[in-house]
Amino acid sequence: MRRVLSVMAVAAIVLGLAVAGWAAESTLEKINRTGVFTVGTRTASPPFGYINKQNEWVGFSVDLAKLVHKNIEKKLNKSIKFELKESTPATRIPLLSSGAVDLIAGTMTDTRPRRDSVDFSLTFFVTGAQFLVKEGSPIRGIQDITGKRVASQQGSTNERALRERGVQAQLVVFPDQAAGFTALVQGRVDTYTNDGIQLWGLKYKAPNPNEWKVVGDFYTYEPYGMAMRKNDSDFRAVVNNALMEALEDGEYFKIYENWFGPKSDTPYPLSDSVKSFLMYQVVPK
Amino acid sequence: MPLTAFLGIQYDFQWSVLWTGGHGEWLIQGILTTLRLSALSWLFASFLGILAGALRTVPFRPLRALAVLYVEFFRNVPLLVWLFFWYFGAPQMLPRVAQDWLNVHGPEFWSAVVGLSVYHGARMSEVIRAGIQSIPRTLLEACVATGLSVGQAYRLIIIPVALRLIIPPATNESLNLLKNSSLALTIGVAELTFMSRQIETYTAKAFEALTAGTLIYLVLCLGISATMAQVERHFRIPGLIARVGRAEH
Repeated sequence: MRRVLSVMAVAAIVLGLAVAGWAAESTLEKINRTGVFTVGTRTASPPFGYINKQNEWVGFSVDLAKLVHKNIEKKLNKSIKFELKESTPATRIPLLSSGAVDLIAGTMTDTRPRRDSVDFSLTFFVTGAQFLVKEGSPIRGIQDITGKRVASQQGSTNERALRERGVQAQLVVFPDQAAGFTALVQGRVDTYTNDGIQLWGLKYKAPNPNEWKVVGDFYTYEPYGMAMRKNDSDFRAVVNNALMEALEDGEYFKIYENWFGPKSDTPYPLSDSVKSFLMYQVVPK
Repeated sequence: MPLTAFLGIQYDFQWSVLWTGGHGEWLIQGILTTLRLSALSWLFASFLGILAGALRTVPFRPLRALAVLYVEFFRNVPLLVWLFFWYFGAPQMLPRVAQDWLNVHGPEFWSAVVGLSVYHGARMSEVIRAGIQSIPRTLLEACVATGLSVGQAYRLIIIPVALRLIIPPATNESLNLLKNSSLALTIGVAELTFMSRQIETYTAKAFEALTAGTLIYLVLCLGISATMAQVERHFRIPGLIARVGRAEH
């Protein structure tokens, strides 16, 4: 019995040291060791991260993540594989904490409570929450949803905002955007709430865009940022430098034009105030 | 905690997230919804199961065929697919008026009830059929010889005996039903697993939130198993191989 206990004690110490060694690794060290940079993004949130008609996984956030990837390769001075993984509002923070992904680049809003669990990059997009309704619906904004059935995604800031305001609407919460939007299409709910730009994406990707409209003033402020594990300043610097360079040399605006320009599927012009805000984030070299 | 730090676990345990901030009420709401969903589905599934199980053994071909069709159709498709069908697919077949009425009377909950009942009814029917088929034919012949019709024989003698025989697998199926109720979160039902994940998304304390869900399901299922063990002891048929508890001699 004593021998069994002592063997178990040695095993526990060895395991503890091994775990401790692993747990202290930074993101750049992990990417260097494995040779893979994994990014979590959406699969049904056009135009940020979605599967297009040619069955390719594309999006505005995906393109920005590729810029970060190039910067990582420059920093580590070797070729790194770029991998995408699906993440939803409910799963993205656990995916980061468990190490399954290194960066979340999708539609994640930078908020103070979330900063307790993850670190955020610079803001790369600004929007706010609105409502998507069928053409002809009487709902014009947050003031009209009392008593109505509102679909949202579990884990999103919109669902939390409606709850915190004590809105007397019936919230139906789905695990992802696809289920929520289908419920709206079938009339199972009266409206679907999400960040305005994502609703525009859904509208334009629908078979008949004229059937849908995005209504209401922004009832939340949603600055999108890329999320990464906490206390990892080196990696955060790499991500932020990639974004700052893209803003400086115009690459960001080219990508923006591609996804949100007048010729794109979801035209969404960049207002002057938002453009200034984005440029002011670029600190001097 | 020093032990977790020693093992290299860099996680800040905060068990209080389970009851502060209204999260305790969420968990209780989740438990109540799970129990309501499971209880209702269990009642309908048992009814469907007994009906289909019995129909598969009657000496009348068309009824047997109907039961086979029901069982094979519904148990051979994953439950998740059925839930999506009953929530997103089936109501589209109803007239607009019926759909509008349904939309204001909790379509998520009732679609989940229908989905679970029909699927588990098909599975229960196989269990009940096994019980009925383990009864010697002589019992049915004796019933008919005393003047009962086949239907009466089934209702008054065969099925009650079969139910006493199949308590172990029936308990298994019932526990499966309780656990499968967690799939209802994919169609928007705010049951226990949904609430555990809700706490996790609000506080980012995944370990605490999911442990709470795990332990609650464990307690519920163990409670049901313990109760069914007592029921089995009480209703065992003397003279069969079944040995529950101490030997009689």
